[in-house]
Amino acid sequence: MKKLVNLFMLMALVAVSTQALAAPPADTLAAIKKSKVLVAGVKDSLPPFGYIDEKTRTIIGYDIDFINAIAAKLGAKVELKPVTSASRMPQLQEGNIDIIAATMTKNAERAKVIDFSHTYFFTGQKFITKKGTVKSLKDLEGKKIGTAKGSTSEQNVKKSIPTSTVLSFDDYPQAFLALQQGKVQAVTTDEAILAGILAKAPNKEQFEIPAVQISDEPYGLGMRKGDKNFVDFVNKTILEMEKSGEAKKIYDKWFGPNTQFHLQRNFKIVADK
Amino acid sequence: MLSYQFDWSIILSGKYFEWLLSGLKVTLQLSLAGIILSFLLGLIVAVMRMSHFSPIRWAAWAFLEFTRNTPLLVQIFFWYFGSYKFLPTAVNDWLNAQSFEFAAALIALTIYTSAFIAEDIRSGVLSIPKEQMEAARSAGFSYLRSMQYIILPQAVRITVPPLVNQFLNLAKNSSLAMTIGVMELTYQARQVESYTFKGFEAFTAATVVYLAISIIITFLVHQYNERVLKLHKAA
Repeated sequence: MKKLVNLFMLMALVAVSTQALAAPPADTLAAIKKSKVLVAGVKDSLPPFGYIDEKTRTIIGYDIDFINAIAAKLGAKVELKPVTSASRMPQLQEGNIDIIAATMTKNAERAKVIDFSHTYFFTGQKFITKKGTVKSLKDLEGKKIGTAKGSTSEQNVKKSIPTSTVLSFDDYPQAFLALQQGKVQAVTTDEAILAGILAKAPNKEQFEIPAVQISDEPYGLGMRKGDKNFVDFVNKTILEMEKSGEAKKIYDKWFGPNTQFHLQRNFKIVADK
Repeated sequence: MLSYQFDWSIILSGKYFEWLLSGLKVTLQLSLAGIILSFLLGLIVAVMRMSHFSPIRWAAWAFLEFTRNTPLLVQIFFWYFGSYKFLPTAVNDWLNAQSFEFAAALIALTIYTSAFIAEDIRSGVLSIPKEQMEAARSAGFSYLRSMQYIILPQAVRITVPPLVNQFLNLAKNSSLAMTIGVMELTYQARQVESYTFKGFEAFTAATVVYLAISIIITFLVHQYNERVLKLHKAA
């Protein structure tokens, strides 16, 4: 009988303690100000957003620079926890991390479960073209556009430019060769892949990736649902970073002309409507 | 694998059915045009190959060896991507404004198949007793006219069975045109797979259609052969 009571008490203790551990603070902002630690869930193998630096063995990247800036504003230390796309939302809800900065695309489904900051990175499907030939989608109407087989890039093109003809090649190098020879006016797929092709191209100065985008991937920082003070603070901080030019500096550091990506920043951090 | 759910309805109606149908149309266009053009080119090359004027004979021989002994896929890339280097800019610009993919695939298929057809026809001609040519020449026919009126009509009849093989190969080889973006049947089957993950259904449909095309070609040529052979016997 005594054993049984003990067992019950143990169970109750475990229940209480796990609950205490698991319960995320209702006001994360106040909690961080008290603990002086901001725990962020980041990617650790996705350059240049979040990856382990070979020399320092620490996680660096575009996402991390935003976390550092937010922590600096709070006067808190940063603690980075690697997360995967599957684990990041449960980790946040269980209180293991305070904020997600892990290339997370904002969508309505996710927004039901967590709160997103304003968009801090914006990407999507774009085009490589010969320099100066394409200023807007209109310039591609009725034209031939190359891509690689088996991707959903083709569907996006047909939706946004129905008059275009899509030629699907076996792989991107062939599609790019077709562009060089004028057989297609543009090659389309995700911006990161395009940037990689362009980085390797022998005569890259003749080509560019215009700021024309046909599918949107807005990335947001993720926070617990209803954690209003913290969300407001993060939004305020990244808006200030945009204003001061710090946000653009971070973009250029990871994606700009001095990197292998050579991307032009085609977005500004603004308040969501 | 066991959990794979067959769903034939998605490829038997609606958008994906239309994709496959449009692919079939392109495959038929390529095959039909290819069969006619490669047969004509094959005839010409065969006659050149047997010419008594040695430069023509050598030219035909070089053409045959080159086209027979290089992969069709490489030839398709050669006509589509490689031709760019040899043509003037104006011609390239004009070609690129057309559906050059289709044309390049047709040229490659025609030239590749014509080499095999030429050899088949030549073997047919060689099986005609050479006295017929001598008789024709002594009756006042030129070499070309002897070929045209006396030798080739007989040789082509003998050549029909191996020609069927070449036509079937051409129809099936037309699937390689997908590598340069020609939206033929195999291309569309692969697109359906990309969008629906229903690869089994899409490729089964494509297989059945190729089989049907092949059987129809065989049947038609066989019919022709029967009639010609009957006429031949009657005469």
